[in-house]
Amino acid sequence: MVISPVHYIALPLLAAFLIPLFAKINKELVRIIPGLVLAYLSAVSIVLMQKVVNTGQPVIETLAGWQAPWGINLVFSAFTGFLATLMTFMALLIWIYSYRFKKIDSEPAMKYYILFMMLVTGSTGIVLTGDIFNMFVFMEITAIAAYSLTAFYRDRDGAEAGFKYLLIGSFASAFVLLAILLLYTQVGTLNMAQIAERMHTVPTGMKITILVLFVTGLGIEAEMFPLNGWAPDAYSQSPGPVGATFAALVVKAGVYSLIRVIFTLFDIHGAFDFLVIMGIITLVISEFAAMKQTNLKRMLAYSSIGQMGFVLIAFGIGTKEAVFGALFLMFNHAVIKGLLFMSGSYLVYNTPSKDIKDMAGIGRKFPFMTFFFALGAFAIVGLPPFAGFWSKLYILLAAADEAMLGLVAIILMVSIVEIVYYFRVVAKLYWGKPTDNEVYHKPTFGGYISMTILAGVILLVGFYPDVITGFIDRAADTLLDKGEYISNVLPKVQELVNM
Amino acid sequence: MDPVLYNKIVSIGIYGSAIGLILIGLYAVLVKKHLTKIVIGLSIIDSGIHLLFIAVGFIKGGTAPIFSPKGIELVNQGTAMVDPVPQALVLTAIVIGFGVTAVALSLVIRLYRHQHTAKIDHIKSLKW
Repeated sequence: MVISPVHYIALPLLAAFLIPLFAKINKELVRIIPGLVLAYLSAVSIVLMQKVVNTGQPVIETLAGWQAPWGINLVFSAFTGFLATLMTFMALLIWIYSYRFKKIDSEPAMKYYILFMMLVTGSTGIVLTGDIFNMFVFMEITAIAAYSLTAFYRDRDGAEAGFKYLLIGSFASAFVLLAILLLYTQVGTLNMAQIAERMHTVPTGMKITILVLFVTGLGIEAEMFPLNGWAPDAYSQSPGPVGATFAALVVKAGVYSLIRVIFTLFDIHGAFDFLVIMGIITLVISEFAAMKQTNLKRMLAYSSIGQMGFVLIAFGIGTKEAVFGALFLMFNHAVIKGLLFMSGSYLVYNTPSKDIKDMAGIGRKFPFMTFFFALGAFAIVGLPPFAGFWSKLYILLAAADEAMLGLVAIILMVSIVEIVYYFRVVAKLYWGKPTDNEVYHKPTFGGYISMTILAGVILLVGFYPDVITGFIDRAADTLLDKGEYISNVLPKVQELVNM
Repeated sequence: MDPVLYNKIVSIGIYGSAIGLILIGLYAVLVKKHLTKIVIGLSIIDSGIHLLFIAVGFIKGGTAPIFSPKGIELVNQGTAMVDPVPQALVLTAIVIGFGVTAVALSLVIRLYRHQHTAKIDHIKSLKW
């Protein structure tokens, strides 16, 4: 079989819809099949990444034999490939974690795996596609799976969180659809490379209207303030592995689509300043909101929003170093927040409520979980030997290079807030006065494996950032070089134009 | 009637009703307190956008974009073709809208079962 980017979409989607049939053969297949698919896709990622790195050219797949401007194409470049690889590996680890996950097993596991595979399809599809309407379709696939996973537990709060998310998400999709419609009337094409090429013909007023619609719609998925009201509820009410999935896949896809639209499609310089301002507001408000949370998962959710604000700031600075830092932070956030949600949800399940105050002294009963949580907390606030340190350092250096000293001050100040609320929890876990709650759920073996791998990655990247910086460097170059993207996707049309 | 004026009235009618539908939907979502009505509002916004899509692709007197002997003959005679892309898009968008509405209604039913009311004022246990 020829390895191609189309497997990212075809296989998980096929698996999702075949799972009910497999369930008829053997109940265990429901759990195994998604893992096999994700393991295969991880192998595909490695092969394709190697190809991209060796040749320096993106792997471009045209679907159904229609060439780029007419048909839909998938672009596996150093940038999109990096994100797709990250998502696939995170999905595989989350699958290992959720294998035999107690709370999911009490509900029909089949439902969980179908929705999970659809979520993986949607978010990798958003990253890989080169067609703006196709991106909308994948966004909706992701969104519908995410609504259902949010409301996975049949309790009241789950339904409320799911409905809230759905309400905001429907607005997002309406805005994006309107933006795509207006864009189509202006440029007469849906291929992103061709849109980028023809963008200069669009009048400025129209450009800004379309951009505002896009930023509103996609900002909802990317957790940009004030459009992130869904996030804390969705993170806190969904099952544990789903929180990790949101942080590692859904939000990454949202940020990607926002960045793709602003960087490649539009080239309005004011948009970058806008990103910085929105990023600062998002960062400051969510970190302060995180500080006053009593519920552990809500605290993690606000911290997640804050990190996305940080990513937006870095993308908004717009220089090579800043984009490098932003991509590094996206990688770190996926890995570290994954670990935090994975260990945090076991801490939550072993306390009568989800409140931090009930978790006092749990570190003595749960040395491993608490250790992983503490490691994640240290990494995400950016302590030196861990992965989070490097991304924060690069972004601060990039901001300092651009003489944005106020920005540096704000980031450092917010970091203190971050340190306070994370360390408060860690201190409570270790030195709090233990309450006499019992151990309800012991972590599964798979849970230990995936958390150990993530902790290993955090330490490895912390000590040897070189293992990952090469890929991120190429990814940043690819994102910033718009002309190369256009000429790679549309070689034939380019030749016709030049004739 | 004067054909130019007629065209103008028709296009204002189509675009106006599309935008009107979007506004009605927005009104329902933002003002109504009943969950089902909010879902209906979302659905109406979608319909408005779909109508807008169709209106954009429409050309008066244009032929269907089908690759048939008659169609080719008409195009050779100088008849314009209706843009097929928005129609294809709108089909996809309708299906997606249907899916979202179905999920939304199932969530409304679940909320109602737990809460014994579908008024949005009573649904506020999750907060910042």
